[in-house]
Amino acid sequence: MDVSLEGVRVERDGRMLLDIPSLSLPGHRTIAILGPNGSGKTTLLRVISGLDRPNAGRVLIGGIPAHASRAAYVFQEQVFLRRSVRDNLELGLQLRGIDPAERLRRVEEASGIFGIRHLMSRRADRLSGGEGRRVSLARALCLRAPLVLLDEPLEGLDRPTYSRLLHELPQYLAAFDATRIIVTHNPDEALRLAQDLVVLVDGKVRASGEKRDVATNPRQPDVAEALGYFVVIRDGRRLAIPPNALRAGPGAMEFLMEVDEVIELVASREIVGRIGEARVSVELPEGSEKPVRGDRVCLHAERFFELS
Amino acid sequence: MASRCSFPMRVIEMFAVDSPFLTVVLRTFLVSGTATAMAVLVGFPIGYGISRRSFRGRTLLLGFINAGMGMPPVVVGLVVWVMLVRSGPLGNLDLIYTRAAMVLAQFLIATPIVVGFTTASLQALPPRLGDLLSVLGAGRVRTMLILAREAKLGLAATIMAAFGAIVSEVGASMVVGGNLERSTRVLTTAIVTETSRGEIERALFLGLILLGLTFVVSLALTIIQQRR
Repeated sequence: MDVSLEGVRVERDGRMLLDIPSLSLPGHRTIAILGPNGSGKTTLLRVISGLDRPNAGRVLIGGIPAHASRAAYVFQEQVFLRRSVRDNLELGLQLRGIDPAERLRRVEEASGIFGIRHLMSRRADRLSGGEGRRVSLARALCLRAPLVLLDEPLEGLDRPTYSRLLHELPQYLAAFDATRIIVTHNPDEALRLAQDLVVLVDGKVRASGEKRDVATNPRQPDVAEALGYFVVIRDGRRLAIPPNALRAGPGAMEFLMEVDEVIELVASREIVGRIGEARVSVELPEGSEKPVRGDRVCLHAERFFELS
Repeated sequence: MASRCSFPMRVIEMFAVDSPFLTVVLRTFLVSGTATAMAVLVGFPIGYGISRRSFRGRTLLLGFINAGMGMPPVVVGLVVWVMLVRSGPLGNLDLIYTRAAMVLAQFLIATPIVVGFTTASLQALPPRLGDLLSVLGAGRVRTMLILAREAKLGLAATIMAAFGAIVSEVGASMVVGGNLERSTRVLTTAIVTETSRGEIERALFLGLILLGLTFVVSLALTIIQQRR
């Protein structure tokens, strides 16, 4: 189902949290809302879900005003009743008046897809981070909602669990016959999981569209930063450099970096510093001389985009 | 003759011969139980509302409620007496020196306890639980009932605390009930009466019964609380 926002404004204590004159999100796609902390991502998700009402404007899901009971919401925190996993999966279905046979069928199917059959009799509020995320996703799938909202679904996981879930999440998302909206501050997650991107900065939509279009043409410095680019100024031009395109040593597009910190890694070292006002980091090749704080090191960009 | 009897014999005598004694026990349970039930009916929704909403003055209100948990019962009794006495603003209700007046005073003592403990119990739940229930499709009443069940450990403790506070108070019951032997005497006021008469054994026994009553009610609530 398409999601559209018209003239949506959210204010709290005199502060504008969200100001979106118009935004259309296509149905049956995975859309990532990307932005730095405090940019209004979760507020936007709550308004789309119908949990919060905007001070002005309206949100339509498939042409109908948003309502909490039409969405499945996967919270950033683990939120469960102090009951078994099975009870937690069934609760939403009971509340929505689904008959017992259909409940059982949906719970069995979802528990199979997310690999949680062995957890069904465990207390849901005592699961580990990774198990809890799977159960939250399974609970959302059981609802068969036309809109699935995921708030930072991979936040706070240990590294092995994070890597595994990041790898598995696309196939889990494919199980939802719904419009899927993911909130994240991590550009890698957004680019990996979503088909479309919405970049939100200071409560305003700064870019939206198919991920390739948005990611390869950031145009504005704040959009480029949200996408994870280093934004540097060279000869009065603003350039967005993908982090993996910044290399140590001379090249066609050179910069001088002032070193703030040298981080020793196992087989290499990383230097963190500034090019003008922009804070950047780059890995030094093996065998290169170790710089010290205050040194100026020559870097070059293999790829970059010019910003307006 | 009585003074030569052992303490257990005196206990048997009191139960067997002194039938008004059983009435006092039942009256105590009735008055404090009714006041507790009323305080839960009124205090739980208020505590629920405070725990779920943020509004201007919320912290100040909670401060007043928490202060109210420590209100001296005798002061509450005095205020209720001033309201209900014949010359008072509610004097025409003719409630002074009745069990209804005692229930009212105990209700006023118990309600801040119920509101304060309910708020704290519900605030201890995961903050997004209410939101979760909304997106799962629960209406307001269903949400309240599910959250109450989730907070049952704290809510059972709330009822125990409220009942324990009012069943053991003497000041308010004495002031608004008048300690009338056949209508408003409860265990605490009976203990005061027996002590002032020099009937220390009877007073001690009444004290034991009061402790037993509190224990039985608390045990019943604890069983409910700890049930999985």
